[in-house]
Amino acid sequence: MTLHDRVQDIVRTLFGDEEIVLDGSTVPADVPGWDSLAQVNVIFAVEEAFGIELGGDELSRFTTIGELESRIAAKLSEQGRDREAAT
Amino acid sequence: MDALELTRRGDELAKAGQHAAALDLYVRAAKAVETPAGELCLKIARAAQRVGKRTEAFAWLARVADVSRSFLDWSGAAALLTKLEVSGRPSARRSTRVALIGSYTTAQLGSMLRVAGLAEGIDIVLFEGGYGQYRQEIIDPDSAIYRFAPDFVVIAVHHGALELPTLSESPEEVLAAETARWQRLWQVLAERSGARVIQHNFAIPPEVPLGHLAARVSGSRYAMMQELNIRLGAAASDAVLIVDCERLASTFGKGAWFDSRYWNAAKQAVALDALPMLARHTVSVMAAALGLNRKCLVLDLDNTLWGGVVGEDGLSGIALGQGTPAAEAFVAFQDYILQLNEKGIILAVASKNNEADARAVFEHHPEMRIRLADLAAFFCNWDDKATNLRRIAEQLNLGLDALTVADDNPAERALVRAMLPEVDVIPLPEDPSGYVRALSDYLRFETAALTTEDRTRTQQYRMRSAASALAASAEGIEDFYRSLEMEARIAPFDEFHLPRIAQLINKTNQFNLTTRRYTPEELRALMRDPTVIHRYLKLRDRFGDHGLVSVLIARRAGTNLDIETWLMSCRVISRTVDAEMLAHLSELARQKGVDTIRGTYIPSARNAIVSEIYGKYGFVRVGSHDGATSWEYDLAGQGPIRNGFIANWSESDDAA
Repeated sequence: MTLHDRVQDIVRTLFGDEEIVLDGSTVPADVPGWDSLAQVNVIFAVEEAFGIELGGDELSRFTTIGELESRIAAKLSEQGRDREAAT
Repeated sequence: MDALELTRRGDELAKAGQHAAALDLYVRAAKAVETPAGELCLKIARAAQRVGKRTEAFAWLARVADVSRSFLDWSGAAALLTKLEVSGRPSARRSTRVALIGSYTTAQLGSMLRVAGLAEGIDIVLFEGGYGQYRQEIIDPDSAIYRFAPDFVVIAVHHGALELPTLSESPEEVLAAETARWQRLWQVLAERSGARVIQHNFAIPPEVPLGHLAARVSGSRYAMMQELNIRLGAAASDAVLIVDCERLASTFGKGAWFDSRYWNAAKQAVALDALPMLARHTVSVMAAALGLNRKCLVLDLDNTLWGGVVGEDGLSGIALGQGTPAAEAFVAFQDYILQLNEKGIILAVASKNNEADARAVFEHHPEMRIRLADLAAFFCNWDDKATNLRRIAEQLNLGLDALTVADDNPAERALVRAMLPEVDVIPLPEDPSGYVRALSDYLRFETAALTTEDRTRTQQYRMRSAASALAASAEGIEDFYRSLEMEARIAPFDEFHLPRIAQLINKTNQFNLTTRRYTPEELRALMRDPTVIHRYLKLRDRFGDHGLVSVLIARRAGTNLDIETWLMSCRVISRTVDAEMLAHLSELARQKGVDTIRGTYIPSARNAIVSEIYGKYGFVRVGSHDGATSWEYDLAGQGPIRNGFIANWSESDDAA
């Protein structure tokens, strides 16, 4: 499963809607019900699912899905480097 | 195909819109393992919903709460629950109205309470107060929570809601004032709504500016918070239940419980991944107050209470006591079980063993902690577990849904789940060192109050077993009644007996004519009403004291007397206690000039046993509606009801 598919799955689960389709340019306003509370839920669920910690301002910043995904990817590779450095 | 492969193929089918076929594969995947993943349970619920199998969908959503602690799984379950409820509420053991008010963002907690409720068979109708508005919601007499008319008010607060300085020179005064502030809020709630309060106490944050010094300065905010938690617990009346968030936060890890990023950005005082735990514990306290929790722990023996197989290894060959880690673990497990027993959980044994071998361990093994006297029922034979569980339920007069099994053997556990789904099963880990933790993580033994009755319950159930044995030997049933040498005290409610009365009213399901529940506040209101007759009954016999076992509430209307509530503990069924209560009531009614006593039977899932009880005592059926029946007793014509088998337990004996 690609990173994009996983993010899309998380959003579908949280909103209880299997029909939601996200692409790189989707912004929260495109998804009915994606308010500031939902934003917190999405970011937290992403953190839980990927085992990463995003910055505090991610919580309130509304960006495109594409941006969110590249930040996740960056965090993951950062962690990968940390792990390599540690071994 | 293994579970993973089945799930993967299910995913493909679901993606292609073939939800019925996907459901089938998902369920097979779930059944291939003892504890399916939360994500899988959620997929099953979703597929079931797609094909219109609502009952199944609700059941698998409940399973998510049982198996998963993930925020995403629980949020997904909450979202699907909301969707399912559009076309009807789930069928539940109890429906209850819950108002959630707090000092932080509680929207997510609210969703999760509903999911946790579903897993306990509680259909929660939720009202959420405004953000941080807990005080206003309580104090304002026109606030929406009072219009909502809740059964429970959950006060979800965090340390930020405390009015405590960082350092006080007079901590005693500060603490007294803060304790009184919370007590007043509880009191206002009780007076205006009659709802029971579920108060979250205060998780103490790990950042302590005073450092270790804080632990020895009683005026430090840190020390005062600890003391306040203790005082709130002590000040809580019977209408206030406490969820010990300080313990939960410690168990969860305070570094994770407090996540300042989420507080700063979204005023989340409890980390989102701690919310499933908080919701489960809050609901377990609610379930205890509703009398829905389990009453009896049924134990296996070999490799559950001791290591090895006594039938093969012999009395001296089993692992129990000192010497090996496992032998010590079994002792610790037994000690923990005995503490559950002390708070009122009944213990029973169901095990495949030669009875003599099994008994010998209890009677002769020097390291054995649990003794035969601690057990209310003992079934060791070669019948299957389900049969023995049915026997235990029958002997103790409990529903199967009051039993929980602890067994080391996954096959036995699977058998119980398949044959008797009402019985709950604790999945013990392989290593006995994990047994105590598994049992302490099991929340369905949460109890709402400690009463004398709780502490002596096993003894009472044993007395019942002894009385049953006597019944078999006695020649006639009347001889049996007389041989019990029963004495009853019937008296109006009083403040001293109120906790036990409320407890009995709220957990009695079988011998309960109307299954009306009352809060202690509502009972106090009845006590003040001169038209209401309220009586409790205490029973003792030659086997011992059974305590307060029956309650009746009736209301006078002219020359009629209406029985609103009549219930009795199942421990004393079939020994004329019901007749004694009616005899007392009818004599009292006659003195008050009543002509007709009217009774109602309202059917519930559990009370078929009393559907004809009024008929048995000479009441005539005068109507029925939706399965409910109404009955009348012509007191003027027939005179009071009589019972000759129970003597009066006189006041003067009471001092003894």
